[in-house]
Amino acid sequence: MTGSTIDHLISLTVFIGALLVFISLFNQTLQTAILYQRQRYLATKCNDLLDNIMLNPGIPSDWGESGNVPIGFGLQDPKFTHYALSPFSLMRLLSFAGNRAYYNGTWYSNVSWGVNGGYLFLSESECVSYDLASKLLGTKGTYGFRLTIMPTVNVTIVEDQSAADHLRLNITVLGQNSPLAGASIKYLLYWISAYIPTFVNFTTGMASTDALGFASLEFHNINVSQNKMAYVFIARVSAGGLYGVGYLARNAVTNAGTIVPYVENSNGTILLVHNPGDSNAALHFNASFYVLSSNFQTSNGGVLNITSGPWLVNYGEGKPSFVLQIQPPNNGGFLVLSYWKEDGGNECGMVVVPWGIGIIGLSIIFGGDSAGQGWVATDIRQVAVRGIAYQARLALWSLESYGMMG
Amino acid sequence: MAHITIEYIIMIPVLILQIFLFPLWASWLMNIWVDSRRTLALQEAASHIGSSIQQVYFVLNPATVAAQTLTQKLNVPPFIENYKYAGNATLKSILDPELVSNKVLEITLKLEDVGTIAKATVILGSNVAWRESTFVSSARASCIIAEKLANGTICLSFGG
Repeated sequence: MTGSTIDHLISLTVFIGALLVFISLFNQTLQTAILYQRQRYLATKCNDLLDNIMLNPGIPSDWGESGNVPIGFGLQDPKFTHYALSPFSLMRLLSFAGNRAYYNGTWYSNVSWGVNGGYLFLSESECVSYDLASKLLGTKGTYGFRLTIMPTVNVTIVEDQSAADHLRLNITVLGQNSPLAGASIKYLLYWISAYIPTFVNFTTGMASTDALGFASLEFHNINVSQNKMAYVFIARVSAGGLYGVGYLARNAVTNAGTIVPYVENSNGTILLVHNPGDSNAALHFNASFYVLSSNFQTSNGGVLNITSGPWLVNYGEGKPSFVLQIQPPNNGGFLVLSYWKEDGGNECGMVVVPWGIGIIGLSIIFGGDSAGQGWVATDIRQVAVRGIAYQARLALWSLESYGMMG
Repeated sequence: MAHITIEYIIMIPVLILQIFLFPLWASWLMNIWVDSRRTLALQEAASHIGSSIQQVYFVLNPATVAAQTLTQKLNVPPFIENYKYAGNATLKSILDPELVSNKVLEITLKLEDVGTIAKATVILGSNVAWRESTFVSSARASCIIAEKLANGTICLSFGG
């Protein structure tokens, strides 16, 4: 009798347990299926959103160049169609890449903080924030995104330290993680000597990469030891119709420090700020803006001529900065800034400031942080920024809870 | 004997209850799944239509583009689980001070016979107008018609 009761109790418990397990598993299966469908929807949304960003120039269409606050968000170059992005609209995206820079009451978007001698700081008041872009795209509160625009062709330029008496630059050209053999290289080299720093020398030439995507360029007349010479080197690489750009500048820290350029606005105002060194000495400088054509030819839009100066910055003497005005070109260009110590002029350095993303191959990261998000959809487009091949990658995630019932 | 009777009194109702409860649970869970699936599919269609409208608008918006009419075929499924769906759109102003010169187009799709509704919004410029029209998914040539007028206004509507 007792055995029968126990049997019944056990069977009832097992039965109810099995039922609960079944419901739980069934529910879990359905949740997975719904989640999968949400993720598929997110992927479709990501695809649509990326096209919307890449295939319209925004409103007004010249917001990247004019400095206006856009009322429609898009990055397409208004002068082109298809997946061609505006180097100036990209420049105005508030960078997520690095720490913001602060100077004299103003925050600056940090696209490049002296990486390889290239600077691109733009006043945040000129930038389009992630918040504004989200509003204009209609995603605020529902989706988060991050847009990464990076060169397809990776051009790495390194100064070969083993060449003691002259400048040797090693160039490595990579495509999508594989070397680009036989790529042609066209380069521009600006250099100064600390002995005659007011004169900016210029050399241009061509080379090609070997089977490993490698090229070594020798400049026997340039001796960079002891900071006595400085240079800005920009190379455009082409292979199979793809173009890439790389650069290297000798941003030497002299005894009198360096000069850091901050772009104040889209009208071409650039603030050259003295970053003082060990001594209280002044830094003399020269600055030339070069307009870059589509076939990688430069024309000198000379900004300052040292002979009409003297142009200098001296933090300790009440001249911490110098306001430079350029005429922003339609095609983009770059500012070559050379500086040297006032006394004796035996130390010098050079930096480059691009006007437009793509001019020297900088990357842009814009948007929010996807860390901690459960599911992130990504989509990729191959785009061109004034002829230079870039890859645009959009990461999208939902900000809405995926709470499930059942 | 009494024990056996009590056991059967408990067991039989429980078993009978399971006969009803189990299908109910299964049906309830399946309904959640089906509803979610349909809502998401409809939402996806609404979002895609919104995106297409935005792209068509931006193609015509530049000042360099002359007055003309553009038709964009909509690449959305005609049926969602054998149900056709229809929709309309309304143009609204935006209160946000940063977007005060923009207009928002709210697209509403409804799955016929089921009643599931999905909405999508797209931000457009101030020079947009919406011509009252209805989108029907099963129409042979459902599309977006965008007409740029000489004064720069872009009139959007559903076609097909």
